[in-house]
Amino acid sequence: MSAALQTWQLSADLGGRRVLQDIDLQIAAGRWTCVVGPNGAGKSSLLKALAGLLPLSGQVLWQGQPVASLTRQQKALQLSWLGQGEASSLDLRVWDVAMLGRMPHQSWLAAPSAQDAQMVEAALRATQAWDWRERTLGELSGGERQRVLLARVMAGNAPTLLMDEPLANLDPPHQVDWLEQVHCLLAQGTTVVSVLHEIGMALHADDIVVMREGRVVHHGAGRDAATHAAIEDVFGQRIRIHALDGQWVVLPRLGGAITSID
Amino acid sequence: MAEGLRAWAQYLALVGAVWVCSQSAQAVTVLDDRQQKVQIAQAPQRIVSLLPSLTETVCALNQCDKLVGLDRYSNWPESVKSVPRVGGGLDPNIESIVALKPDLVLAAGSTRGADRLQALGLNVLRLEPRNHADALRVWRTVAQALHVPTADSDRVWQGIQAGVQAAVQSLSPVARQQRVYFEVSPAPYGASESSFMGETLSRMGVGNILPASMGPFPQVNPEWVVQARPDVIMAGDSSRASMLQRPGWSRLPAMQGQRLCVFKQGDSDMLVRAGPRMAEGAQLMADCLNRAAAQTDIGEKR
Amino acid sequence: MLLTLGLSVVLLGTAAGSQGWQAWWSVGADAVSHQIVWDIRLPRSLGAWLGGALLGLAGAVAQGLFRNPLADPYLLGSASGASLGVGVYLSLWGGSAWAMNAWLGLGLTGAAFVGAVLAVVLTLLLARGVQQTLRLLLAGVVVGVVLGAVTSLISLLQPKVLQAMQGFMLGSTAFVSWSACATMAAVLALCLALAWVFARVLDALSLGEATAQSLGVPLPQARMALVGVISLATGAAVAHIGLVAFVGLAAPHLVRSLVRCTHAWRLLLSALMGGALLVLADVVARVLLAPQELPVGVLTAVLGGGYLLWRVYRDADSGVRS
Repeated sequence: MSAALQTWQLSADLGGRRVLQDIDLQIAAGRWTCVVGPNGAGKSSLLKALAGLLPLSGQVLWQGQPVASLTRQQKALQLSWLGQGEASSLDLRVWDVAMLGRMPHQSWLAAPSAQDAQMVEAALRATQAWDWRERTLGELSGGERQRVLLARVMAGNAPTLLMDEPLANLDPPHQVDWLEQVHCLLAQGTTVVSVLHEIGMALHADDIVVMREGRVVHHGAGRDAATHAAIEDVFGQRIRIHALDGQWVVLPRLGGAITSID
Repeated sequence: MAEGLRAWAQYLALVGAVWVCSQSAQAVTVLDDRQQKVQIAQAPQRIVSLLPSLTETVCALNQCDKLVGLDRYSNWPESVKSVPRVGGGLDPNIESIVALKPDLVLAAGSTRGADRLQALGLNVLRLEPRNHADALRVWRTVAQALHVPTADSDRVWQGIQAGVQAAVQSLSPVARQQRVYFEVSPAPYGASESSFMGETLSRMGVGNILPASMGPFPQVNPEWVVQARPDVIMAGDSSRASMLQRPGWSRLPAMQGQRLCVFKQGDSDMLVRAGPRMAEGAQLMADCLNRAAAQTDIGEKR
Repeated sequence: MLLTLGLSVVLLGTAAGSQGWQAWWSVGADAVSHQIVWDIRLPRSLGAWLGGALLGLAGAVAQGLFRNPLADPYLLGSASGASLGVGVYLSLWGGSAWAMNAWLGLGLTGAAFVGAVLAVVLTLLLARGVQQTLRLLLAGVVVGVVLGAVTSLISLLQPKVLQAMQGFMLGSTAFVSWSACATMAAVLALCLALAWVFARVLDALSLGEATAQSLGVPLPQARMALVGVISLATGAAVAHIGLVAFVGLAAPHLVRSLVRCTHAWRLLLSALMGGALLVLADVVARVLLAPQELPVGVLTAVLGGGYLLWRVYRDADSGVRS
């Protein structure tokens, strides 16, 4: 399995604080990797660094090529990034927002092509936002807005997707939708890296990267017991991971008393 | 026959010469404030004036009837009150002026209005008298431009100067010893020795607490005036109220009785405009100084 | 969308034409003076439209670039720079015997323009490039305040400048000539072209700076170009018609409330709307107290401020976020 993304001695500072410390990571292609960890572990910074949006020391390689050697457009074509809580102004139409995802494919002054329109429509239908394509972002609720932003990321059709907190504000049905979307993307060979707070969702990933205080403490398959142990450990043993119906559930470990549900 | 022809030829030549002379005599070239030449072909019949001192100059030269448009601040003599107004000096109403079809526009300095009017093809003469030397130059220039015979304009000017001289001589010796503070606006801005009013005071031999080095209209620190302790204060109507509120001023000797001369708006105009009314202005100041020197307590009547 | 465009142009047409019969004197009889009147009024109205369009465009670019609906084109200090240029010019050459023609024929307009552009350059230097928008904004505010203070100082030291400065600050279209119109039209064409090219960047920016970067947008170059557009457009407008408030702020707002579109259209429409607004204000300014003229800046402040107040109350009532 080739590495879609690779880092070598990656370190980064943000506001004088070291947020990433000597990270060596290999993200497999065509698989879904999820980054989990406590607040302030550096998950968002890792994603930004991988996307080339953060000044860093060390190396980041995409498909074996150093990021620094790629042009802006090449980078945008290969990798789509969805940020967490990016402040956006609210008077663009949904359709226009999704079309922005096609920017790397469009030449500078050209109008959107038929293919662009097709991709945008597909992405909006996938997130069930097609019906509101004429509405502005300001008229939508938080969850609806998030779905539009997801559509923007998917419309770009990049081989690698980095998503930071993609499930923010989404209600359970749409969280499941997102899960299905990821599986669909994986089937097409896309590499997906996401940062998730919802550990229950994260446990569906192929690989899980566990972070604490700017370092990677574990990187392994989502099914492995070792991975589960690492997750429980990084959260201070306040949670327990149990198998249920072929999936994994996360239960709180309350004040010392251990409740068995087997 | 030859005699007749020769006589007729001579007559023609004479007429021709006179005609040529009168033509060339009619085209006058004057220099404006920027040392630019302005040519005025004939005696102007429709004049627009955008500066009060220039308006007064025109009227003093007996050409008042030629004025067809004035700025809103020109208010002397009485006869000009009926002349249509065309905005201010700095914001002239271009349309109104052009519609009046003037053959000469008198404007101050280098305002955008003057530039625009000139660009539209009007004859614009830029003059702005700021001191006594300016006043003479402007007087002569306007007289030339209006085709007033030099003898006449000089005569009137001599009359004005005689008036100033009379004001100077009317000062009592005690009055001449005094030091004056002339306030122009309540900011407070004062008039120093290099301003027009300051020069008038200097001609009278009276001291000014604001030296020329401060510029013509420096903004003064009220405390400084208290320290300088002028003998006489001259100010416009608008200043009086604020003067009493300044710290230390109410105890100044210059604020008592006749030593404080407050001029109404009409009189202030006379004092500050570097124009033909400088004699009346000088006389106003001389009267003020004499009264202050006399220190009698006649009710303020001005 | 096209309807709005048409409306703006029609508005211009009627506004320009309406002075003919709203004049406070009739020029029907005299053909020569009729010609002259159109030689004055037409460039004035055209100049008002061009100035308004420049300000509307600059305002739309500023609001997109800084992602702030309260941004106006004077944000980068160009207004204070222009005032300072005017102040310096007036105090040095105001009434002296120096031939102004010697100074490259620049005159007051040139001084204002140079002042505006230099102020923006100073802002860029202070913010050390266009890297961060927040730093750019702060630097702009600082430059604006400091230059304003220097201007006040100059008018204190040279009180004769004060009245002329005030006239400039209030804005007026009275002195706009055909050459001024030509200059403004050229600048408008240039700025519109440049802004159109970078309109996509503004769209991408509206999703956030990092997102825009991830989309492959050449941010530093685009920012530089857009700041250039703002400074050129504002400088040209201010140099010819003085400091006119609110047009740059209100025009994009009006466009946004009427039409939903991407920045490419919004920039163009803001320019058209700005032009229409200013012509309207100019006509009212001339007619309201005829034969006296109100400074157009006073009118735009009153109208623009009133409009924004109304928007605030309306949004507060209906609970809709603008």
